[in-house]
Amino acid sequence: MVEAVLNIQQLCSGYGQATVIRDLNLAINRGEIVAVVGKNGMGKSTLLKSIMGYLPAFSGNIMLMGRTVANTAPHRIARLGVAYVPQEKAVFQDLSVEENIRLALRKPLTLADAKAVIARCFPFLLDRMRQRAGTLSGGEQKMLLVARALAVGAEMLLVDEITEGLQPSVIESLVKVIKSEREHSGTSVLLVEQNIAFTCAVSDRYILLDKGEIAGVGETSDPDTPMRVTAHLTL
Amino acid sequence: MTDSFARSIESSTSKPRAASALLRVGVGASVILSLLAIAPLVLDTYSVNVLARSMIYAAVALTVDILWGYMGVLTFGQSAFFAAGAYASALVFTYMGFSPQLAILGVVIGVGVAILLSAVVAFLAFWHGASALYASVITLVLPIVVTQVLFSGGTYTGSSSGLTGFQTIDLSVEQWFWAVAVLLVLLTVAAWVYTRSDAGKLLVAIRENEHRCRYLGLNTSHMKAVAFVICAVICAVAGSAYANYTVVVAPELAGFMFGTELVIWVALGGRGTLIGPVLGTVMIDYASAQLQGDFPFIWKLVIGMIFVSVIVAMPRGLLPLVFDAGKWLRRRHATQQQSKDREVRLLGLQHSRPITRTQSDVTALTVAGVQKRFGSLEVLSGIDFEAAYGEIVSLVGPNGAGKTTLISCIADGAQRTTGQITVNGHHIDRLPPEQCVRLGVGRKFQMANVFETLTVGECLQVARARWDKPSRWHRTGLCSLPPSALRVVNATGLQEDLGVPARLLSHGKKQALELAMVLALEPKVLLLDEPTAGLTKPERSLIGSILTELVRTENLCILLVEHDLDFVREISSRIIVLHQGKIVLNGSVDEVVSSDLVKSVYAGSSHEGARHG
Amino acid sequence: MIAPLLDIVTTAAILFIVSSGLLLVFGVMKLINFAHGGLITLGGYAAVIATILGLNPWVAVPIAAMFGAIVGLAMERVIVRPLYSRPLDAILATWGLSIIIGQIITLVFDRGVHFAEPPVRGVVSVLGEPYSSYRLILTAIALALGLSLALALRGTNLGLSTRAVIMNEDLARGLGINSGLVRCITFTLGSALAAIAGAFITPLSSVDPNMGIPWLINAFMLVLVSGSSILSLAVASVVLGGAQVLVSNYFGSVLGGLTIAALAAIILRIRPQGFAHD
Repeated sequence: MVEAVLNIQQLCSGYGQATVIRDLNLAINRGEIVAVVGKNGMGKSTLLKSIMGYLPAFSGNIMLMGRTVANTAPHRIARLGVAYVPQEKAVFQDLSVEENIRLALRKPLTLADAKAVIARCFPFLLDRMRQRAGTLSGGEQKMLLVARALAVGAEMLLVDEITEGLQPSVIESLVKVIKSEREHSGTSVLLVEQNIAFTCAVSDRYILLDKGEIAGVGETSDPDTPMRVTAHLTL
Repeated sequence: MTDSFARSIESSTSKPRAASALLRVGVGASVILSLLAIAPLVLDTYSVNVLARSMIYAAVALTVDILWGYMGVLTFGQSAFFAAGAYASALVFTYMGFSPQLAILGVVIGVGVAILLSAVVAFLAFWHGASALYASVITLVLPIVVTQVLFSGGTYTGSSSGLTGFQTIDLSVEQWFWAVAVLLVLLTVAAWVYTRSDAGKLLVAIRENEHRCRYLGLNTSHMKAVAFVICAVICAVAGSAYANYTVVVAPELAGFMFGTELVIWVALGGRGTLIGPVLGTVMIDYASAQLQGDFPFIWKLVIGMIFVSVIVAMPRGLLPLVFDAGKWLRRRHATQQQSKDREVRLLGLQHSRPITRTQSDVTALTVAGVQKRFGSLEVLSGIDFEAAYGEIVSLVGPNGAGKTTLISCIADGAQRTTGQITVNGHHIDRLPPEQCVRLGVGRKFQMANVFETLTVGECLQVARARWDKPSRWHRTGLCSLPPSALRVVNATGLQEDLGVPARLLSHGKKQALELAMVLALEPKVLLLDEPTAGLTKPERSLIGSILTELVRTENLCILLVEHDLDFVREISSRIIVLHQGKIVLNGSVDEVVSSDLVKSVYAGSSHEGARHG
Repeated sequence: MIAPLLDIVTTAAILFIVSSGLLLVFGVMKLINFAHGGLITLGGYAAVIATILGLNPWVAVPIAAMFGAIVGLAMERVIVRPLYSRPLDAILATWGLSIIIGQIITLVFDRGVHFAEPPVRGVVSVLGEPYSSYRLILTAIALALGLSLALALRGTNLGLSTRAVIMNEDLARGLGINSGLVRCITFTLGSALAAIAGAFITPLSSVDPNMGIPWLINAFMLVLVSGSSILSLAVASVVLGGAQVLVSNYFGSVLGGLTIAALAAIILRIRPQGFAHD
């Protein structure tokens, strides 16, 4: 019996009165990496925000680490061991790199523990700890986001379109880091993506979201996957 | 086809109802007036004396209610205008003596000063982009400045002790009571008539959503300024009456404390109800006068506690509570009646202004070299394209490509950093949104953007305010819509909901209502930002067919931002692909669909992935 | 020549002390605490109590801090919390609280004027010019207060969380920061600072139940032109306080009394972000 880190049942959620996610079911096991793909506006980011507690669940249930968390405040979700990497401007530009990481640390973790993880995945950041995060390049900021999420020892990562605007070399290193961290600590990842190459390289399976509903699922190891998903994404 | 839209949709009996409402208020006012006529004969002189003063205050509180309760401008500064009137009269009487002509002169000077002051405040407080807090701050500074000016007048203004002992209009306390009572009732009825009229609904529209108002072509800053000046005039007249009646003026009249006291009375009575603030002011001021002697501090403490609880727990104030209780007793009989009272009958315009057909040689929209920066971040660069009448051009691209920013640049001349935009042959220069609307731009926002507390019919009336000058005197209950807007209303079933407040509509109907409101502007270039976001499939296809029909019959030019690519493919005549602030492709639907470039924009380096697969 | 300069410096210092609590609350919660004036009054009466009990005048400061913190905590829990989404109503409700504080003080003491013992009397000579030593001490206190606030925001974990909430509350919540708790602590601290300011300024003037109001308005205007930065508040205090001193000297204290409010209103009209750098 594999334990489900995340288990979503019959979830409906959205903004105000607008239902964006409709009757969604999804379970992610420990150590699993799952990608959500789909066109813009189909509810991918909404799904992550609902899990994180930023948006209300109109109906249905969300369980994290075996606990029911629908409509729980974001900071409580974070403290359960969930790290959220949002799509836009997610580093505090005016804080230093170190402060950005310290913010997310909860007892008993210390800065030294965090630095040990960073040394493993993005060692270049260790030389830049005192630098203002806003002065990092776009790619470096994204790496800082991932580093922060990993450094706090999260059991589950929610990652929203991390590859947008990144160079292929950076994307490659992200794939490497995420996969090795999964081997090392058994971290589960739910990521929202548009980049199919990245999706196929990093994740075990994918779900296709269309107008808030699951329109397809599959294994990324299946050689037809890129073709099928691409067909769905473009016009 | 056109004929069926031209006939009125709903037969309603709103005319007789409006008359009956007026009749009811007339009867009510007469009853109150007769009660007030008897009051001085029954009450002791002290009470009559105090109540006359309370009623003068009530007139000032009424202006706070119009500005704050209806229009959403929280003002602490009405005391300054009140003092302007009071001091003008007192100074005239003190230094020029008394005569009926001089009494009028006093009022005229007071009103003049109030107009001047309020115009300055309006200039400082109401401009595009000024926040509600900033406007309140300015109204807070005003009484401080005026108080200090009165102090610095030295012996001339009597400094801190003020002026007293001048000769004024010679009336007995009872006569004053009657005069003030008649004026207050007239003022209240006038305010009631105005706030209930079609034009009065614009005040509420400004409070609910000033942003939307501006994109409906209304110059809200100007409207707020006018309302503010008129309210200042009323305060000055009341101040003049106060000086004549009490024969004492002191700097406290201008003060911040009196300014906030007015707000407290209005909040307790019930903001946005007119009668609530009037009753609140009279009752609290009267009770204060009665209790101040015996329990001076306890009384103020109690008022403070009630005030805080009302603000926190019952922001609508106490009067609506009484109404609700009454309604509950009558078993909700009244609710239905009230909603019927707010119904609007739609009229179809025979023809929409045939702008597009005669001028079809002019390009609907030209965008040339448009660039937009936020600080050092370039969001749009070198955007060039044209769109003709009769076209649906779709803007697509990943998140953050700059689609909504581009729409904003077309709808508001102040947005873009550089570049030229022409709408129907006119440069938009740096025109604010309401002027762009005049050139023919209609913008529908991404999230449904309507007036939540107004009914569907009233929302449509507000949207038509630019063409059909709304009546200031009564609710016409009528709204003429061009065929396009009417078609949206009919097709989406909104005509059943004309009396329903917009906040109760489903998300889909709200989107449809906003679309109808924008079409009511009779735009030439229609900007639609994700009109189908959050809609169900049938709703999407309905909106799609309405849009294609609009373009066919009205020859509009539509620029559409959309994420739903199936929708885009179905209805577009052309597609523009935006990526990282640049146009990467501008072509027919087929060209774009088959483009490898577009695939890579949307799917990252998917082909590489396919090869490795 | 020296005296006006000292006046400008000490006036700026006093304005800074009086406004810092309001700035803290405005920065984190984006709402104006109109009970700030009432809390200043409360602090003033803490000094009166110390005098009545015959305590060392400096003891007034911790007493005031305690009063302010208790009232602030209760206020945030019961009244301010439901009003986060209604900033104009929050102004009104906190104003109502100010009235309540004023009336309770009036009931306990009376409407009359009270005096508190100053901790330090007399003058010292500054470059040959005799000057009130207490005003100079207040300048040192303002500097210490500004520095310790800046250090606390920079150095401590709570300060770091507070800055994160100021910059982007949603993002901070996603990192596990309990922004509700941060708001509560900030409000309590801001209220305590207001009361402390009241205790500090009391020896300069008399104490009455309305003493906080003129200070409230000046503090309010200063905070609006400063945004949420301690440095800009210091700059604003010097510029506007300096203007007040100059206007008072040349055009009389009556016009001096409206200088800060009028200037701030005009500054905000021209430059909505005021002295904040972006």
